[in-house]
Amino acid sequence: MHAHACRTLRQARPLGSSLSVRGMATEKQIMMRINATKNISKITQSMKMVSAAKLRGDQARLDKAQPFNAWTAELNEPPMVTEDGIDTSGWPQKNLIVAISSDRGLCGGVNSFVTRAIKKMMISTKEQGKETTLFVVGEKGRSQLSRVHADEMTAACTDATTPMQFGMATAMATEALKNDFDTMHIVFNVFKSAIAYDTSIKSLPNLAKEGGEEQMVEYEFEPDTKEEVMQDMYEYLVASQMWHSLMESATSEQSSRMNAMENASKNAGEMIDSLTLIYNRARQSRITTELIEIISGASALEEAK
Amino acid sequence: MLGVAARRVAGAARPALRTARCFSTAEAPAVMKLNFCLPHETIYKDKDVDQVIIPGSAGEYGVTAGHSPIVAELKPGVVQVVHEAGQEPENFFVSAGFALTHPTSVTDITAIEAVRVEEIDEGAVKSSYDAAKREMDAATEGSREAAEAQVAVETTKAMAAAIGVVLAS
Repeated sequence: MHAHACRTLRQARPLGSSLSVRGMATEKQIMMRINATKNISKITQSMKMVSAAKLRGDQARLDKAQPFNAWTAELNEPPMVTEDGIDTSGWPQKNLIVAISSDRGLCGGVNSFVTRAIKKMMISTKEQGKETTLFVVGEKGRSQLSRVHADEMTAACTDATTPMQFGMATAMATEALKNDFDTMHIVFNVFKSAIAYDTSIKSLPNLAKEGGEEQMVEYEFEPDTKEEVMQDMYEYLVASQMWHSLMESATSEQSSRMNAMENASKNAGEMIDSLTLIYNRARQSRITTELIEIISGASALEEAK
Repeated sequence: MLGVAARRVAGAARPALRTARCFSTAEAPAVMKLNFCLPHETIYKDKDVDQVIIPGSAGEYGVTAGHSPIVAELKPGVVQVVHEAGQEPENFFVSAGFALTHPTSVTDITAIEAVRVEEIDEGAVKSSYDAAKREMDAATEGSREAAEAQVAVETTKAMAAAIGVVLAS
């Protein structure tokens, strides 16, 4: 079926190219292009509407996830924006980078910003002789990162159902915690507004490892086996941070898709306008030619009389 | 050690506990702030309350303003929020989570799931307890299923205790 379509395409091409030698496509061809562009703009417009509706839901979920994760502020530094590059010289020997990306494309630069930031970090940690492994959430991040960092990638979690559930964040946290690391870094997009997001990084030093007990000295622990509670709490903390990052990223993804689709619709509109202009010009010149033909034909008859 | 023992009987010795566990030097704020959040719902945020009683895995304990910093793992049980001294507490059943009381008299309670005790359905608790019990008996000892069923049994037991229902053992 596919091969057949290719053959017809190949046959059709010389015809089209012989026409374009004259410098202008036929009216019919232009009309086809106008219709195709109109169809695309219909799709991008409805994708924009869908994203706008989904954005509302994601924003509502984010509003709940933010206070839920607020307790981690006591233990972890606030997220840092990766825009100007991240200095990895302060990182410990073993690092795990968790990339939060989306499963679907057509959402602007959300995934590229995440993977680009990670690639830079991978290079600088390698130069510093540090070990860095990757845990990827989302199909787009997986495909973009596996081209260069397939060896460092320990696991990827893709095609999760949306909207995410907290149980999913817990499952991902459990999976990520199976790796041996000193610090976990989550790279994700922080939702700023419907038109802006910041690609950021959160570093979560491993409290379950040695030295973890030295943290939170002013706190009493209940039960008083601090080491065990610390370990449980770290697992809970990772799940909580993961949940928050997923919600921030999901919201950024929708807002970014909304903008990308709005731009695409606008561009399609401009294209339709310019194509319509070309179409009208071609139509006018055809009519003029036809008129000339008729008139000259008529005058030739007149002369013959 | 004494402190732990005192907390275990927190329910009975609450007034004594309040004075004993206050900072002696720092001036304690009159009210404490409570953040009580779930992944999908924010129950209280920056809410001024008089006292909270938290079901820590090593025993229930009460938190008031000026309480010393503490981190506790929660067990399935009832979080009691006393909004104003002398008032009846508002009761929430929590499945699991963590409670952190910070030096600033702010208490963060984060739980996976919480429901108002009044909203717990007696019949549903009984039937899920029976189902969990059956699963636990059926599962081979030491397996993952057995552990999961045991968690379910303990949670439903705690739920039954919270609403004052006697379960057939």
